[in-house]
Amino acid sequence: MPLAVLLVGVLPSALAAGILPRLVRLAGALSLPIGISVALVSIFTRAGETVLFQIGPFDATLEGVDFAAQIIVRLFVLAAALTLFGLTTEPRAFVVDLERRGLPPRLAFAAAATLEAIPTMIERALAIQSAQRARGLDTEGSLRARVRGVMPLVGPVILSSLTEVEERSLALEVRAFGRPGRRHLLWWLSDSPSQRLVRWALLAGLVVLFAGRAAGALPALP
Amino acid sequence: MLELVDVSYRYPGYARLVLRDLNLRIDDGEIVGLVGANESGKSTLCLVASGLAPASVGGVLKGSVMVDGAPLAGRPTHELAALVGLVFQSPNTQRSGVTGTVFEEVALGPVNLGLPVAETLARTREALALLRIADLADRNPAELSGGQAQLVAIASILAMRPRHLVLDEPTAQLDPEGTRLVGEALRALAGTGTALLIAEHKTDLLDGLCQRVVALEAGAMVLDGPAAETLGSPKLEALGVEPPSAVRLRRAAAERGLTLPAGAAA
Repeated sequence: MPLAVLLVGVLPSALAAGILPRLVRLAGALSLPIGISVALVSIFTRAGETVLFQIGPFDATLEGVDFAAQIIVRLFVLAAALTLFGLTTEPRAFVVDLERRGLPPRLAFAAAATLEAIPTMIERALAIQSAQRARGLDTEGSLRARVRGVMPLVGPVILSSLTEVEERSLALEVRAFGRPGRRHLLWWLSDSPSQRLVRWALLAGLVVLFAGRAAGALPALP
Repeated sequence: MLELVDVSYRYPGYARLVLRDLNLRIDDGEIVGLVGANESGKSTLCLVASGLAPASVGGVLKGSVMVDGAPLAGRPTHELAALVGLVFQSPNTQRSGVTGTVFEEVALGPVNLGLPVAETLARTREALALLRIADLADRNPAELSGGQAQLVAIASILAMRPRHLVLDEPTAQLDPEGTRLVGEALRALAGTGTALLIAEHKTDLLDGLCQRVVALEAGAMVLDGPAAETLGSPKLEALGVEPPSAVRLRRAAAERGLTLPAGAAA
């Protein structure tokens, strides 16, 4: 079933959006760390009758490989679906649409600010890094030197972010952010009948999957 | 009219008064400059005059802050926003971080006020035009220069159409051209009847802009008079404030026994 979701839903959508190679790369990178852990743990610790090979006291079993493959496919499908959402959805548009559908403005702001905070933090970290390098901090070379170079950045980045919080919140207050009641947003997303149809179809599919699983018609992980 | 009557203020958790027995009245259309050394209480006075202290900041306020004869105390902050606007020093902290264009950024305040879309659009266009930054409307606010970002921050407050405006070192990060633009916009704003209080280190800006200038020292008002009088006061340098270049030029000429013709150092 996860493969079907990937092959019928995610990959064709990514192909249509022209982001298939990027999606595969990102989803692979996202699922790789957990995938490796799952593979190691499953292959060598899962009990089974067919032993493929041994490393020390550990038996690599065919059942373990089968289980690991199933989990890794699920992980990749999950990562690919999330990546598809991330690559095809403008965060601001997503938040605006959520607010239009009734999400309180404060929650909408928190969601949008969180999404937007990442590039700001990166920019601040780069500025602090440049300042530190100008004073002789070594941030290049071996992995150890790079790790050592990151440490002096952590404190200033976090502290400078915290010190700005009060002025940021005051700056929002003076723009009536705390006012209760409905806001008339400047724009909204177009929502075509075909988009609505796809959403309802996805929702219906989800219900069918849940029902199928509850009725035992769909297999669970061994 | 924006008026502070016998105002003293201390921050929450502190016993020391940051403002002491201040009386200040700014009439409609009047521009009052506020000078003083760092830590003299200028930013605190801006917070108090806008009602944010103590409404949002906390602390203890004695005396009263009045807008058009009505006290600010007890009003919710979103109501204060429409009465007294406050522009901060740093454009970065004033950027909401949730908008994709300058137009949306400036429109955020009116949207928060719950105004109809047509009204929001009209206010936003007007504020952009007043600061002559309509050409920035489609730019990403995160990718502006410091000066442009501060002009956007001021436009964002102007779009709220506050009755009066308080600015805490609004040109600190602006180049001379940006400073001039802000000065022109503030003068135009005062022409609409808005009372303006501007805390500034750039006394040259205040010299050409303000009718009156007051000076703070350790939270107390030590000078209050017409701009030329306060900015020309010999006490100003002792307060840690650099006099405007015109005043310094006149003094330098006088030390050398020269007399400048009237208006030459203006």
